[in-house]
Amino acid sequence: MLEIKNLKARIGDADILNGVSLSVNAGEVHAIMGPNGSGKSTLAQVIAGHADYEVTEGTVSYNGHDLLALEPEERAREGIFLGFQYPVEIPGVNNAYLLKAAVNAKREHQGLEEIDAFEFLKLAREKMAVLGMDPKFLNRGVNEGFSGGEKKRNEILQMAMLEPSLAILDETDSGLDIDALKAVAGGVNALRDPERAIVLVTHYQRLLDYVEPDFVHVLSEGRIARSGDKSLALELEEKGYEWVREAANA
Amino acid sequence: MSRRSLPIDALDRTVAALSDDALAEARHAALAQFKKRGFPTTRNENWKYTDLSKVIELSRRSLQTSTDAERPDIDRIRELQASIDAGWLVIANGKLNRDLSTTLDEDGIEVSPLRLDSKDLRLEDPLADLNLALLKQGLSLRIAANRSTDRPIALLIVDSAGTAPVLSQVRIDIELQANAEIRFIEYHVSAGDDEHYSNAHINVIARPNARADYLRFQDRALHHSQTARLNVQLETDSEISYCGIDLGGRLTRNDLKIDILGQGASAIFDGLYIAAEGQHVDNHTRVDHRVGPAVSAQEYRGILNGHCRAIWNGKAIVHAGADGTDAQQANHNLLLSEHAEIDAKPELEIYADEVKCAHGTTVGQLDEQALFYLRSRGLDRDRAKRVLTRAFATSIVNKSPIPELHDLIGNAVEQRLRELATGVPQ
Ligand SMILES: Nc1ncnc2c1ncn2[C@@H]1O[C@H](COP(=O)(O)OP(=O)(O)O)[C@@H](O)[C@H]1O
Ligand SMILES: [Mg+2]
Repeated sequence: MLEIKNLKARIGDADILNGVSLSVNAGEVHAIMGPNGSGKSTLAQVIAGHADYEVTEGTVSYNGHDLLALEPEERAREGIFLGFQYPVEIPGVNNAYLLKAAVNAKREHQGLEEIDAFEFLKLAREKMAVLGMDPKFLNRGVNEGFSGGEKKRNEILQMAMLEPSLAILDETDSGLDIDALKAVAGGVNALRDPERAIVLVTHYQRLLDYVEPDFVHVLSEGRIARSGDKSLALELEEKGYEWVREAANA
Repeated sequence: MSRRSLPIDALDRTVAALSDDALAEARHAALAQFKKRGFPTTRNENWKYTDLSKVIELSRRSLQTSTDAERPDIDRIRELQASIDAGWLVIANGKLNRDLSTTLDEDGIEVSPLRLDSKDLRLEDPLADLNLALLKQGLSLRIAANRSTDRPIALLIVDSAGTAPVLSQVRIDIELQANAEIRFIEYHVSAGDDEHYSNAHINVIARPNARADYLRFQDRALHHSQTARLNVQLETDSEISYCGIDLGGRLTRNDLKIDILGQGASAIFDGLYIAAEGQHVDNHTRVDHRVGPAVSAQEYRGILNGHCRAIWNGKAIVHAGADGTDAQQANHNLLLSEHAEIDAKPELEIYADEVKCAHGTTVGQLDEQALFYLRSRGLDRDRAKRVLTRAFATSIVNKSPIPELHDLIGNAVEQRLRELATGVPQ
């Protein structure tokens, strides 16, 4: 589904990704771990199409097409969803409005009719109930004044409504209390499907207790320093990131 | 004859032709004053950025041609009246149109012709002199003590110029007696193809514990210009909640002056201006905190695109002894084009103790992070821009004081923003 080859990217004069290669297939859950500043969010943002990052080398293909040639909105409509590490507050834009606009943008792209207003509300309320979100959040400004945990749940709500083929969740688990973490994990697990792929960016093992990954990768200084199965996450927890860095440089 | 005045003979002729009524004496005194001072020029600090030359030129032509008959767009007015549940006072080209008005005899609301004599003149504003000198008819509204009504009073100021440029004056004095609560809508529209200049002067006096919600909405055609003054006096524990929205007009100048005369008074006033190619919109506000404790808070927002200019000048003066004053000012501007120009200036003068004052102004473009966030959810770039631009305006619309008009105004704002984005003139 997603094939990244030797990806290098920079922002301004700073080289951040120094040759990332990664292959993600339908049905798989990947975890990308690594210390702060190793380039995890950069990788996620490049996949979503953020214009501040300049790709200097390498390729990214998605379902066989050149992903880097697409605008961010085209990527979204093709089924890519990025859960932001820092969801943006947009006062004055109603949460329900954005959800509906997002759902309809994708449906239009798929040649489907707009979602029925009643159907939309019903669906949104159902998903919110599962996530433990008060329906009142529908009528608030997007992320406006939301707590950290509320913002993360809101990202998961968007994901649940959009049913992406490829979901990349950037530290959706950080700063959450245990209930919120369980709600988020529940949202992710509900999406697991042989047709879909999920990439969890995290720097704790904690989320992986609830969402079991098929593969774990460690990003260090803009490269994947190590890949393995879920036992790698446990090993990391035990030995720390220094261990990976040393092993990679050895 | 200097460039900033009007031909004396034409002025004299025009004033002489007005009826010999309860305003006659005041008119002549105002005329004498206006002849001496003429229009304000850009040498005047308060008019530094707003050049009235074109308005003066238009006024001159208007005085020299025979005055065009009013031809308001009746269908449009009826439609508007059907869409807003209010008692209507319709002022067409400076005269009360009784056929189109509806509110005249409501219980506790007294509408009468304005009476003034020369001692009511204040030496403050040359445009007020012009207004009074050429005033065909003024209105006085008195809201009786303890009277409170949910149904707004709507002042519809409709100007039309069909075959010749037209100059018109509006003057309304509103008194809210003690404990009166009232909701006002001041709605400006224009019709006809020729140029028009409207010069309005509205005074509001709120007696103790009175409360006014006041929405001013202006969606004029691009060949219309207006200058408007709103003076508000607030006595003890009285309140005004005001919002002024300017979407149209070639040149718009608003002077809002609030005098806080009694303790416990509160003035909340906000504004939204949207300007595109060729438009000029100038908001000057001034609050005089003469006693404290009392509150004033203003937030003005502007969206500018193309070659246009906006000015926001917010002055708050906390006079000696006005302890316990809380005065807040904010002005935020969204510049969608490098050709748009904004001059934003907060001015605070504080001569009292224990005051809480703050001001903030921002000028910027759309937030790139927010744009990316929306695009990452599937909205294309243009749509994401429109959504963010509208959101910027919505925060003012949604806190404007007549909630049942939020949709109507929101739609007008959206329509205007669409025109702004596509560059289609209004
Ligand atoms: N806008 C930026 N300008 C310059 N450097 C940046 C910018 N954004 C991120 N970086 C740098 O890129 C590196 C990787 O950041 P990031 O991808 O956010 O790491 P992670 O998500 O793994 O913590 C860090 O050193 C960070 O300081
Ligand atoms: Mg990060």
